[in-house]
Amino acid sequence: MASRQPRFTQQVLIDTTPLPDDIPKVKELGASSAPLLSASFFIGARCKAYNDDYMMCKTEANGRGEFECMKEGRKVTRCAASVIKDINETCLAEFRTHWQCLENHNQQLWNCRSEERKLNKCVFNKLKLEKTIPGTPEGEQQIHTRVKNTFATH
Amino acid sequence: MGVPFETLLPYGVMLGMFAFSAAAVGGLRNMQNGGKRARRGIDAWDQYDASAMTSSLVLTPGVVMERDRRLTGFVRGQTDKPEAPKGFETNNPWRVETRYM
Repeated sequence: MASRQPRFTQQVLIDTTPLPDDIPKVKELGASSAPLLSASFFIGARCKAYNDDYMMCKTEANGRGEFECMKEGRKVTRCAASVIKDINETCLAEFRTHWQCLENHNQQLWNCRSEERKLNKCVFNKLKLEKTIPGTPEGEQQIHTRVKNTFATH
Repeated sequence: MGVPFETLLPYGVMLGMFAFSAAAVGGLRNMQNGGKRARRGIDAWDQYDASAMTSSLVLTPGVVMERDRRLTGFVRGQTDKPEAPKGFETNNPWRVETRYM
C-alpha cells in the first residue's frame, strides 16, 4: 500500500484472493452481532487468556500486529467459535430467546434481563462459564444479577 | 339543536388520513427491518449505511451491521452459527480510490 492515506474513497474493492497456503487456515467466526453480544461475557470467561495475549502481542508489535500476531489471532477466533459452538449444543433455546430479545430491543442488555438470567443459569450449569462484569467495584452487586429493573420495558 | 353528522365527516376523513399514514409508515419501517423493531441511537461502529460504501463523506463506515449483512445477506439478519459461510473470509470490502481499482 502507498504510504499516503487514501482520500477519495468512492469505490470499494472486494479482493477475493485467498490467503497464501503457508498461513494456516482458520474458519472465521460465523455468529452475527446479537448472538455475539449475548455470548460475549462467556467468550470473555473462557478466552480471557487468549484475548489478553493477542492484545499484548499487538501492543508490542509496534503497528505490525496484523502480520506478526496472526498465530494469536487464530487462537482468539478458534476459542470464540468454540464457545458459540458449545452454547449452541447445550443451551440453544435459551441462547436464541436471549439474542432474539436483544435484536428486538435495540441490542440493549438491560432490556432483556429475564431472558439473560435463564441463559446465564443454563450456561453456568452446563458449561461452567460464569458471567462476571470486569471492573465492578469490590462488594457491589453485579448489574445483571439484580432482580428489579426500573427502566426495562418488559 | 344537535350538530348534523355531515358536519363531522371532514374530521373523520382527516383522522382517517392520519391513521392511514401512520399504518403505512410503520408497516414500511417494519418491512425494512425484517419484521423486527428498528434500531435507534446506533453509533458509527454499529451502523450500516449503504452510502458509506460509496461516499467519501463518511469517514468510518459501520462495521458491525455491515458484517451482519455479509454473514446473512440482510442488514438486520442474525445467525448464531459458529462458523462463517464459505467465501466470508475474502468478501470484506476495501474502500479505495478509483485509480487503484
